[in-house]
Amino acid sequence: MDEILIATLRSGTPLVYAALAGVIAQRAGIWHLGLEGLMIAGACATIIGIVVTQSVLVALIIAVAVCMLGSVLLWLVVEKLKANQIIAGLGLTGLGLGGTTLAVQSIFGTQAAVSAPFGLPKIGPAFGPFASLSVLALLMPVAVIVVWIMLRRTRFGLRLTASGEHPFAARSAGVNPSMMRLAALLIGGVLCALAGAELAAGSLNIFAQNMTAGRGFMGFAAAIFGAGHPIGASCAALFFAVVGALGIRAQIVFGDRVPHDLLLALPYIATVFGIWLSARLRGGTKALTGFGELRDQ
Amino acid sequence: MILECRNLTVRYGKVTALRDVDVQLEANRIHAVVGQNGAGKTTFARVVAGLVRPDTGDLRMAGAPITAGNVSISRQSGIELVHQSFALPPSFTVAEAMQFGADGGTLFTKKALERRWQAHLDKLDIRVRADRRIRDLPVELQQAVEIARALVSDAKLLILDEPTAVLSPEGAARLFDQVRHLRDRGVTVVLILHKIREVLAVAETVTVLRGGERVAGPLETTQIDSDRLAELIIGSASDELDEEDRAALTGAAIPAHAHASAVSDGAAPVLDMRDVSTLRDSDGPGLESIDLSIRPGEIVGIAGVEGNGQRSLVRTIAGLANVSEGTVGLDGRDVTRKSLADRRVAGLRIIPFERNVEGLSLNSPLWENWSALGLLRKPLFATISPGGFRRGCVQALDNWDVVYADVNQHAGSLSGGNAQKLILSREIDETARLVIAAQPTRGLDIGATAFVWDALRRARARDCGILFVSSDLDEIFDISDRVAVMVSGRIQAVFEPPFEISRVGAAMTGAVQ
Repeated sequence: MDEILIATLRSGTPLVYAALAGVIAQRAGIWHLGLEGLMIAGACATIIGIVVTQSVLVALIIAVAVCMLGSVLLWLVVEKLKANQIIAGLGLTGLGLGGTTLAVQSIFGTQAAVSAPFGLPKIGPAFGPFASLSVLALLMPVAVIVVWIMLRRTRFGLRLTASGEHPFAARSAGVNPSMMRLAALLIGGVLCALAGAELAAGSLNIFAQNMTAGRGFMGFAAAIFGAGHPIGASCAALFFAVVGALGIRAQIVFGDRVPHDLLLALPYIATVFGIWLSARLRGGTKALTGFGELRDQ
Repeated sequence: MILECRNLTVRYGKVTALRDVDVQLEANRIHAVVGQNGAGKTTFARVVAGLVRPDTGDLRMAGAPITAGNVSISRQSGIELVHQSFALPPSFTVAEAMQFGADGGTLFTKKALERRWQAHLDKLDIRVRADRRIRDLPVELQQAVEIARALVSDAKLLILDEPTAVLSPEGAARLFDQVRHLRDRGVTVVLILHKIREVLAVAETVTVLRGGERVAGPLETTQIDSDRLAELIIGSASDELDEEDRAALTGAAIPAHAHASAVSDGAAPVLDMRDVSTLRDSDGPGLESIDLSIRPGEIVGIAGVEGNGQRSLVRTIAGLANVSEGTVGLDGRDVTRKSLADRRVAGLRIIPFERNVEGLSLNSPLWENWSALGLLRKPLFATISPGGFRRGCVQALDNWDVVYADVNQHAGSLSGGNAQKLILSREIDETARLVIAAQPTRGLDIGATAFVWDALRRARARDCGILFVSSDLDEIFDISDRVAVMVSGRIQAVFEPPFEISRVGAAMTGAVQ
């Protein structure tokens, strides 16, 4: 039981951070399909940072800076150049996946996985069997609560939500919706950096090409699944992680009888199921219902 | 003078929305700004509120100049604007909608927030619970909440943009009481209106805009009568209009007349709805037991506060709603289970609510938009001749006085009036039996409005039945042979001429059966 819980928290933590970034962007009116790209950029920057500077803190600062830069880029393309946000987000993901490979190639002269001598600090023996989890896993529930309070219990959050749901209402109140979207993307950038850092330096301490393997998109799916609510989205992300952990467990138990690939595909099947389920539930922001309206016509 | 505007000019591309407008308003009074659609009233309100930056001109509030085009600065100096279509995020609770526009206070709990704003609402005598969601509120309460939101800070100048457009006559009277109450508390109120009757009922001064220019005002309303005001609003174009149309355009008089109706008694109805109910859908509750028939040569007006099932009614007749009970007959045939395409073949024509969304494809050329109806009538694999459609389109557009450069230009480049004429030229043809005109004059200027009325009257003369949906009682009274009032998806009452605004108005609130 503990093993499954630990596996869930280990694989779920990056998903939750990514989902929170997706929720904030969605509230502000942006479908953030660049989560995957920012996440892998965060993972890559963390490992390279540790290798080069030998400091986890400096590495995290570099990762956060890189992801915020990527967020600003997305904002410029979407808000200033008026590009389609879906295409722009996918472009950012492409940039992240390609850019990290290029960075590793040019710094280390190889495309092989880069390993760091150490990773994020562990939470320590005080937590018994969970000692090997990283501090970011411990911080995860705190982050969820903080994002929830920010969105639903501060004027900043109300203004951010209004910017996505009814931009004209925001403008009438003297709020600049475009700047609120920048703020949302910047906060999302920080969360994506943490997601990437946890993924790469949480336990394995390596960076490999394409190591996010669609986790950014799963975070995006969790944000939709949770109808734009941080707690709902986090539960969705953890649900995907549980399915993944059970899948790994199932490989050990039923490995001989059930095809291996099918079990590996479980989290992704759960994602599709989750999106289908969320489509049946109402709610969310104006930006969210955009697709629904197209479908209805 | 609380507000002084000098030389305000606003251009949108080639269109000049405001030209050198000078307005000075005295403090602590109720001012009206009137004008036809397209006169620049809303632009004026938005410039004062800081939502639109004027190309030239400046603003002074209580003697101090304010930077134009900045909402925060306008709000800080005490100017608040209540929009025609309300600016409240639908998923917010009332308390949240207040909080997001206010200042002061950072972190809050739900309880504290609701207590704070409940007190504010109670003080303004607005009876709504602060924890209700905006999307669940009826439109009159949404407006009250919007006014309360505008008063969260220390507003000195409150601008209400067409506040009566969504209200029943009784709702408007209550609003005017509240406006007087605010004036007594020291707030200067500017009402953007287009009905002379309402101006004379509530305002102390009136300023008239026409074609983006100030033609008169502020004038004391005690020193002006409705005829003079109608002349100022409509201008020289009034020569082409008859008395009744003028009265309907300006809401100057209370029309109570009978029409020379072309109804042929005994003829089979072109629309025959019997006990029709529909399922609830994303637009709200469905229809409940609607009985409605329209005879050839009859215009039936559908009155009611917006959002009381008018859209469901139009969709039901078009075959786009889920009918759970009852039958819909079109020109003597039961079409309850027929598709929209079949109904169109049977003679149904629709001038839809949203001309730029449902009525036209803005990115397609004029001739493609015009030929859509002809295409629907052809078999799926019939060959089409674009040249033939282009020629037909040129002829139709010329017949309907559409101003255009080329049949290949995009429909989006037409003005509102010309876009509506393009739709009329497509929908009102010789084979039309029933024409649904859904808010056909919304947003059109005088000339185009009169043109639409004329087109519908000509269709009536050809024995078409017409369903005329509008939220403007004056135009409904002017054009209709019979008026049905809708409340919450039901037909509350049906009136025959002469129409009395007080009785129809009472029915709109659900008071009379």
